[in-house]
Amino acid sequence: MAKIERAQKLFLDSLKTKFKGEDPESVKTTFYKFGGLEQSPRKREFMKAAADVEKTRGISMYDPMRCHLGGLPMGQRQLMTYQVSQSGVFVEGDDLHFVNNAAMQQFWDDIRRTVIVGMDLAHQTLQKRLGKEVTPETINEYLHILNHAMPGAAVVQEHMVETHPGIVDDCYVKVFTGDDSIADDIEPQFLLDINKLFPGDQAEVLKAAVGSSMYQAIHIPTIVSRTCDGGTTSRWSAMQIGMSFIAAYRMCAGEAAVADLSYAAKHAGVSQMATILPARRARGPNEPGGIKFGVFSDIIQANRKYPNDPARASLEVVGAGTMLFDQIWLGSYMSGGVGFTQYATAAYTDNILDEYTYYGMDYVKDKYGYDFTNPGVGNIAPTQEIVNDIATEVNLNAMEQYEQFPTLMEDHFGGSQRAGVIAAACGLSTSIPTGNSNAGLNGWYLSMLTHKEGWSRLGFFGYDLQDQCGSANSLSVRPDEGLIGELRGPNYPNYAMNVGHQGEYAAIVGGAHYGRGDAFCFDPLIKICFADPSLVFDFAEPRKEFARGAIREFMPAGERSLIIPAK
Amino acid sequence: MAYTPQYGPGTSNVAANRRKQMNPAIELEKVREISDEDIVLILGHRAPGSAYPTAHPPLAEQQEPDCPIRKLVTPTDGAKAGDRVRYVQFADSMYNSPAQPFQRSYTECYRFRGIDPGTLSGRQIVECRERDLEAYSKWLIETEMFDPALTSCRGATVHGHSLRLAEDGMMFDMLQRCILEDDGIVYYHKDQIGEPLDKKVAVGKPMGDEWCKEKTTIFHSLLGTAYRSDAEYIEYVQRIHSLRTKYGFMPVEE
Repeated sequence: MAKIERAQKLFLDSLKTKFKGEDPESVKTTFYKFGGLEQSPRKREFMKAAADVEKTRGISMYDPMRCHLGGLPMGQRQLMTYQVSQSGVFVEGDDLHFVNNAAMQQFWDDIRRTVIVGMDLAHQTLQKRLGKEVTPETINEYLHILNHAMPGAAVVQEHMVETHPGIVDDCYVKVFTGDDSIADDIEPQFLLDINKLFPGDQAEVLKAAVGSSMYQAIHIPTIVSRTCDGGTTSRWSAMQIGMSFIAAYRMCAGEAAVADLSYAAKHAGVSQMATILPARRARGPNEPGGIKFGVFSDIIQANRKYPNDPARASLEVVGAGTMLFDQIWLGSYMSGGVGFTQYATAAYTDNILDEYTYYGMDYVKDKYGYDFTNPGVGNIAPTQEIVNDIATEVNLNAMEQYEQFPTLMEDHFGGSQRAGVIAAACGLSTSIPTGNSNAGLNGWYLSMLTHKEGWSRLGFFGYDLQDQCGSANSLSVRPDEGLIGELRGPNYPNYAMNVGHQGEYAAIVGGAHYGRGDAFCFDPLIKICFADPSLVFDFAEPRKEFARGAIREFMPAGERSLIIPAK
Repeated sequence: MAYTPQYGPGTSNVAANRRKQMNPAIELEKVREISDEDIVLILGHRAPGSAYPTAHPPLAEQQEPDCPIRKLVTPTDGAKAGDRVRYVQFADSMYNSPAQPFQRSYTECYRFRGIDPGTLSGRQIVECRERDLEAYSKWLIETEMFDPALTSCRGATVHGHSLRLAEDGMMFDMLQRCILEDDGIVYYHKDQIGEPLDKKVAVGKPMGDEWCKEKTTIFHSLLGTAYRSDAEYIEYVQRIHSLRTKYGFMPVEE
C-alpha cells in the first residue's frame, strides 16, 4: 500500500457551498452566532405550519423553542445543507427524511407493489389440461383484460364495485421473454423490450437466462400496497390474473383448472421481491427486511445506464439501499423517529463516499492494472493479501481526508457516519476489481478494525458487535455460519440490527458484478422488471430521484386528491 | 506462566501514550487539583455534603449467600456501602484530546474496579457505585487524561467531538457547559447534564497545542502523528483481521 495522488476532490464543491466564506482546511471557526433554528428556511416553515395546525386542532405539537433542551434550540452551530451526490442539487437535511420526500416513498412503494409471475405454467394448464389454444393474439387479449382488471376492475361478474382509474393509474402489467420472435408478436404497449432497454452485451445474457419463457412484471396500485402490506401484492395480483384468464379464455369460473391457475399465480410461478421474515420480526413477503442484497442490486438499474462505471452504479445502490434499509426498514419499521436519516444521508450526500471510492478505483488501476472503466477485463484475484492492501490504503486515505479537511469532518460529525462511509469505500474498492462480494465484505471489516485503532473510536454501540466480529464471518459460507454476499440480506444474523450498514453491503455485492461487467447480480427477471421506463420512480437514478423529491419536483402515485375535499 | 500485558502495538508516540495510559504500573502526571466538592458539582448526581443515596443496605448488614465468587472478589467501597450506580461521561475532541473513547475504556478496565464502560464515537461513559465514581472521576479530570479545552464532561447533548474548534480553542458544546474566561481558566457553569451550577467550577488552563500533541492518543495526519507512519500498528491490525478471517472460513488449528 502506498498513497497515490488524486488532484480532484469531489467533495470540495459541497464543502465550499455548505460552509460559505470559510476555508475548508481551517481547524477553527465560530459558533453560537447563527440565530438558532431561524437560520433554516425549512425549520421556519415547520414552525409556521405547526402554529396553523395548533390553531385548527387545539392540541400543541412542534415547539422546538420550548421543547428542545428546555429552551435551547438547535442551531448553535451552522445547520448545513446537503448536496445529493452527483445530482448537483442542494437540499435541506429535513427534506431527506422519507416522510418529507415523496420520491423516497415512491421508491419503496414501487418495490413493495411488484411481483413477477411466470406465464408458462398457466399456458400449459390452458393448453394441455383444457385443450385451449394459446397464441400471440390470445396473449395480447389477455394482457388487455389484465391491464383493465389489475388496477381493480371487474371482468366477469355483474354489479361489482370498481376502483377509480385516476387513483390507480400507476398499476399495470407488462411481459418479457428471451425469445425475440415471441416478443415481436406482443403489442409494444405490453412489452418490456430487453433489446431496447439494455446495452447489447447485457441484453444477450439476459435473454439467454430467460429463454423462451414469458413473465409478467406486475405492479399493483401504490395505494393498495400502502393501505395493506407487501404480502398483499401477490394476492391482489393473483386474484386479478385468475379473473383475467377466465375472461380471456372463456373459462368456467368454477372449474377445477382455475385452481391450477391460482396456484401458479400465488405460489408456483411467482417471484417476490423479498422473502418472509421470522415471527420476531413479523413481516410478510415483499417487505424490506427480506430483500436479499443480490436482489436489491438487480432492482437498482444504474449498471444498465452506466455500464462502464461500476463505481457509479454501486454508489447508486448505496444511496437507494441506505434510504430503504436505514431510513425506512431499521429507522421506521424496526425502530422509529428521526436519527436514522442522519446516518443514511452521509453515504449519499456531498460526494464524500464518491470521492473515497474513486480514489480506490484509481489505486487499483495504478497498482493492479484493473481499469474500472472497462469492467470484466483484468479482474484481480481476491487473495487476503490483496484485500488487505486495497482496504488498508483506501481506509487510510479516507481518514486522512477527514483530517486534512476539518469541514469534511464537521460534515460527517458522527462516528457512525464516517465508519459506514469509509468501510463502504473499502468494500467497493475491493469487490469491484476482484468481482467477489465476500472479498468486498472482508475489506469492509478490515476497514472497521483499522479505523477503530487509528482514531480509538468507531460508531455507536452497535458497531461493537457486528463490525468487530465481522472479519470472522465475512468468508464463511457454511450453513448456519454464513452465506455468499448475494444471499445475505437485512435479516442476516450479524446484520439485522445496525443502521449504517445494509445499503452499503448491498452495494458491495452489486459492485462485484458491475465490476465484472455482469448483466445481473442474482436474478435476471428482477433486473429486467425494474428496467421499465413506465415505472413512476427511475431506478437507474435513485439519488437524482431523491433529490427531486427533496426539492418537491417529484410527482408520486396513489394520491387521493380525487376522493377528498379540495383544499 | 505469568501473563505480561503488552497493551498494544506501535512504534509511534501515540502508541506509546496509549500503553502508558493503560498500564497501571505507570503513575500518570497530575496536572491540576480539583476539590472533592467541585467534582461532585460537575457530576451533578448529589448535593455536596449530602449522604450517598443507596440501592441496598451495606453488605455487612444484609444476609449474603454462601457464594464462592463473593469470597473471591473484594467489594469496592461503593459496593460495600450499597451506593447506587451513577455515571461520568466524557466527550473527547479529535483535535488531539489526550484521551479518546476506546482508549478510555481500555485504561479504565486496567486501572479501575467494578466499572461498566460504554464506548461510542464521540463520548465514553463509565458507570459504577457513586463513591467509587467520584474517586475515578477525580483521577480522570486531574491527570493528563484531561485537557480543559478539548475534553469535557457531558451527560447528554454531546455533539462536538469532530467539529472544528472555536476561535478560543474550545471544543464546541451547544450547551456551553464550560467557558474559557478572560483569566485564561476554563470554568464549568453547568454540570455534566447541563443544569446551571450555583457556583462555577474551575478546571484550570487549557494545556496548549504542544502539550496536547505530545500527550494525545489519536493519530492525526494534520495536527499530530499520521497513522500511516506507524507501520507496526497497521501490520498488527492486518494480522488480527487475517487470522480472524481464516479461522472463520475454516475453523481448524494448523
